[in-house]
Amino acid sequence: MKLIGKLALCLLSASLLTSAAWAQTPAPKNGKTYRIAYIARAQGDSFAAWLADAVVKEVKKYPDTQVTVFDGQSKNELIASHIENAVTSKYDLILLQPLDSEAQVAPVKEAVKAGVKVVTVNNRVNDASIPAVDADPIQQAEVNAKLAVKQVPQNAKVVVLMGPAGNMHSDKRREGWKKFFFDQRKDVKIVGEQIANWNKDEGMRLMEDWIQTHGKIDAIVSMNDNMAAGALEAVKGSGAKSYPLTYGVDGTAEACLKIKAGEMTSTSLQSAFSLAELSVKMSHDLLTGKKVETPQFITAELITKENADKFIKMHKDLGNIK
Amino acid sequence: MAQRFSDMFLAFMSKLTSKYSIYLILLAMLVICSLLSPAFFSAKNLSNISRQISITTIISFGMTMLIIAGLIDLAAGSVMALAGILSVAIYKATGSLVIAMVTGIVIGIACNLVSGFVVTRFKTPPFIATLAMMTSARGAALLYTNGQNIYQLDQFVIFGQGDIFGIPTPVIVMVIISLVTWYLLNNTRFGRHLYAIGGNEDAARASGIKVNQTKMTAYAISGAFVGLAGVLFMSRVNAGLPNAGIGFEFDAMTASIIGGTSFSGGVGTAMGTLVGAFIMGFLNNIMNLLGIQSYLQQIIKGGIIVIAVAYDIMSKNKKTASQLGNIEERGKEA
Repeated sequence: MKLIGKLALCLLSASLLTSAAWAQTPAPKNGKTYRIAYIARAQGDSFAAWLADAVVKEVKKYPDTQVTVFDGQSKNELIASHIENAVTSKYDLILLQPLDSEAQVAPVKEAVKAGVKVVTVNNRVNDASIPAVDADPIQQAEVNAKLAVKQVPQNAKVVVLMGPAGNMHSDKRREGWKKFFFDQRKDVKIVGEQIANWNKDEGMRLMEDWIQTHGKIDAIVSMNDNMAAGALEAVKGSGAKSYPLTYGVDGTAEACLKIKAGEMTSTSLQSAFSLAELSVKMSHDLLTGKKVETPQFITAELITKENADKFIKMHKDLGNIK
Repeated sequence: MAQRFSDMFLAFMSKLTSKYSIYLILLAMLVICSLLSPAFFSAKNLSNISRQISITTIISFGMTMLIIAGLIDLAAGSVMALAGILSVAIYKATGSLVIAMVTGIVIGIACNLVSGFVVTRFKTPPFIATLAMMTSARGAALLYTNGQNIYQLDQFVIFGQGDIFGIPTPVIVMVIISLVTWYLLNNTRFGRHLYAIGGNEDAARASGIKVNQTKMTAYAISGAFVGLAGVLFMSRVNAGLPNAGIGFEFDAMTASIIGGTSFSGGVGTAMGTLVGAFIMGFLNNIMNLLGIQSYLQQIIKGGIIVIAVAYDIMSKNKKTASQLGNIEERGKEA
């Protein structure tokens, strides 16, 4: 009896594990169907969730293709096993959103060796032979930095909010800011630069402390919108009469609303739609035997008060704003 | 006479340093931080620190009760996020601050009752039971929001961003919760039972204490604190963040342990926890005021935690040793 119970428990947990895969699109009735395994970095990360949804929607435009989504849960070892499983289950192509550029190289190479095509999206693996679609993080910073060069006053006090330590996107965006802003504006003084791990609450707490030490801060340079929004919340809480110039990256619903309201200055959109469109097209081209150019980059769109309405509408359509 | 007086003074000092060692550490930090940065010792900055620590400290009080009884709650951060998210959602649906607040607290209690049930009914180690809840609650928060943040909270922000007579609301809530915890631990049967269970569970059971019922109550109360913290957190950051509070359970435990709560159970106080939270708050704040680099901050924090706890344990051991010595002497006399 005990054994049966244990077996049932094993079966139950196994079925729970496999149900991590979801969102299967129906197969067309005739002809060859291409099966794509989409492996998301982490469904818990709001951008990755948006990208996964966008990929599923995009694949629906190709009647001969279907996609299954797997959640990598921010774990390199889990992503590796998703890749291995996709090979075993004979998927035609793996569309991968890498978590770590180095950690995924080996499993990706194994998959290619086993005859499964691999495309990466939104980050790359350290192997130039793997077709890739990506956003250029330096350019994402550049569009904001070029605006800041003109806007930030002389001898301004600036604070910088960083993503997690060693994160490629955070580091590259910071590099873009250095090249297109800090190197050209030697008069500007960075009075604080800390890691806030992409989080709103951590950005808020750092800004509260900076306001205590430095009083009025002229500009906030943030590597993403969440941290910038948190810093602005701290400015509001300090009772300041005006908001500092504030720059982010991502183009979240909140940032668009804040830009429209004049609280935030600008951000650049990393569009999951564009990433999905390009990467699914690339995948389909590869499956149907066409030649593809790689890597392909989506362009970062600058969002300012002038065009914020357009992006607010986009977020409304996505259901991010009611 | 003079000899006697100096003996008394020494005895008094040793009592002061052993019993109140943690308060002395806090005082020393206050002085050192004030010397290090002119921005530190100002009403504005102290209120700023209190506001920053308030949410994890509220969770700390619940954690302290659990640790005293030999329990633990690893799910605090996740449950806080889930409670906060659902509270925000209910507010957006109903527009009622009261219903939103109650929802948050009820969700906190419900999640912790499930953990408590698994612990007491199936004798699962609290570490495992709450680890499971940690994953499940986070999953539920992400599932509900589809991984996206919830924005446009309107009036909801008054819980976390408002103030009463110039004191930030979360700080007032923290003070109330600290008084509640102090009262529960010192003046109720429930509190005495927590210490008894943490000290020796079998002995507690043998003396007629309803161990399981007390444990469930402890989880429920700490769940209510966690739920309340979730409401305050979302309100403070003006967003419903499904990824909120990752690692908060460890911040809560840190404050508790620095404040003298013992992981072996049976020892801990509400005031100690509050002081522990302020020590961590001062530390985080002064490092940012001084502009210390992020990586270095983590190392310094680890170092200070070890020093504070080691000093506290050493001074307590001295006290126990001297008491034991007294007993031995008395034994010889008899």
